[in-house]
Amino acid sequence: MVAKIQIRNLRKVYDTPERRVHALENVNLDIQDGEFLCLVGLSGCGKTTLLNMLAGFVEITAGDILMDGKTLTEDYDKGVVFQEYALFPWRTARRNVEYGLEIRNVAPEERKRIALEHLRLVRLEEFADFYPHNLSGGMRQRVAVARALAFDPQVLLMDEPFGALDAQTREELQELTVDVWQKTKKTVVYVTHNLSEAVYLGNRIVVFIPRPGRIREVITVNIPRPRDPLSSAFIEIQREIDRLIRT
Amino acid sequence: MQHAESVSPPPDFSATKKKVVTIRQRLRPVYPFLVIMLIWQIAAMQAKGNLGQLFPTLDAIAYRAWELITGPLMTALKENPSLGFFDYLYYLYQSPLLWHTFHTAWRLPFSFVLGAIFGVIIGVIMGRFSFWESFFVPLIAVLLPIPALAWVPIAVIWFGLGSQTVIIVTTFATFLPIVMAVWTGVKTVNPVWIRAAQSMNANKMTIFRTVVVPGSLPMILSGFRIGLARAWRAGVGAEAFAGIKWGLSAGIFDAQEFLDIAFMMVALAVLGIFGYLLEKIFFQPIESRTVIKWGMMEAMGGQERKV
Repeated sequence: MVAKIQIRNLRKVYDTPERRVHALENVNLDIQDGEFLCLVGLSGCGKTTLLNMLAGFVEITAGDILMDGKTLTEDYDKGVVFQEYALFPWRTARRNVEYGLEIRNVAPEERKRIALEHLRLVRLEEFADFYPHNLSGGMRQRVAVARALAFDPQVLLMDEPFGALDAQTREELQELTVDVWQKTKKTVVYVTHNLSEAVYLGNRIVVFIPRPGRIREVITVNIPRPRDPLSSAFIEIQREIDRLIRT
Repeated sequence: MQHAESVSPPPDFSATKKKVVTIRQRLRPVYPFLVIMLIWQIAAMQAKGNLGQLFPTLDAIAYRAWELITGPLMTALKENPSLGFFDYLYYLYQSPLLWHTFHTAWRLPFSFVLGAIFGVIIGVIMGRFSFWESFFVPLIAVLLPIPALAWVPIAVIWFGLGSQTVIIVTTFATFLPIVMAVWTGVKTVNPVWIRAAQSMNANKMTIFRTVVVPGSLPMILSGFRIGLARAWRAGVGAEAFAGIKWGLSAGIFDAQEFLDIAFMMVALAVLGIFGYLLEKIFFQPIESRTVIKWGMMEAMGGQERKV
């Protein structure tokens, strides 16, 4: 079976007046359809750069990204959840979720139905008519997840979406993310620097190391879900990744 | 894992905002006016003879205001005591104070709207196209610090005496701060909102309409507010020097020649009330329906809630 996304000899160089920065060097990776892939590494290792290239925000210096065997076009359907709160403050939760559907000219009634369905998926149906500033940080990110999924994108790209949240909310949203992923069967690419989060969420974990940013190893996590972060198998994988990151 | 957040019912935010406000608290803004009026009245009562005309008591001012509003009506009533309802309206409409007010009242909003339209168009063009940005920025940076009133003598020579000069000066005065605000607003829209819209494949025009416009609304509204204040100052000043007969400040300058202090005070009070009402009926409703509701801006006088 051909992978959903194929990354071939990918390279990214930023030229600044002072020096060249090799953000990514010789990256090869296959992302399977419906898998939950985590990208981990220290800051400056290129994991966010790779996600931004998948999202089409950053140009490719050399190499290829193929989606279903074809070169990635800028306007393919991808849902992105940002680390910052990126909801539109002038739209209610429901109208935020409708945004991508509006772009795709979905009829208003249908839009509303799909938006409510996705708000139910993130367990926020009763907050549909709230403006973002009346929602907590965790709730805002749940709406952001609903917004990124509502127009049925091919992949869901998440860039440290829960990084700004407190530990308890974070745990709750991790559990929710797994639930959403199992229900929607989306391909998820998830960037995080939190190793426990990566082990909890990912089918596979791609470990990046910096200077130049490259893949150190890809680890498969075979622990059955729901995963217990205190089990020995869980901690063993976490320790292994920690060792890889630091070498 | 906990789902406390989703299980609990939506908190009722409207309830927390509605605090009981006593009548005493409501009356607080009135107190300073009462104090000033009291001091005024005591001081004015000390003035005797001719001085009394130059420093009239409050009741003299109130009488003058009454006279200014009902003057033509009273004259007409003396000649013909049986006037119909519409005659009453007609003669009230003839009152000099209302005439002055009407003229100021249409000139100012007209010029403001004109200046705002130009300001928004040029501001958006500056925010979108770097060529026009570097073209206009130096120009506006030089023009902005010049008080609009300083243009009036030149404007009178170029455009002649009359309303057109007042309108041109006022429009210009409105335009400058609005163009700055719109430009800044469009430039400083939170980039993550734009990235979010891009990630959902919105095109440039859609992003402008659905993200840049609402996203820069707080800046644009505050630009409108400054623009209106500037327009108000410029308009009132220009009225006085553009050789026009009707307009509140034109009236004030005329009254100066007759030492009609009471008229001047009445006209000033109307100017103050007018500006206050513009704020109340124009800005506050727009803001509370948009940027305040969206949590992008604190309500004016928000600190009152802490008292």
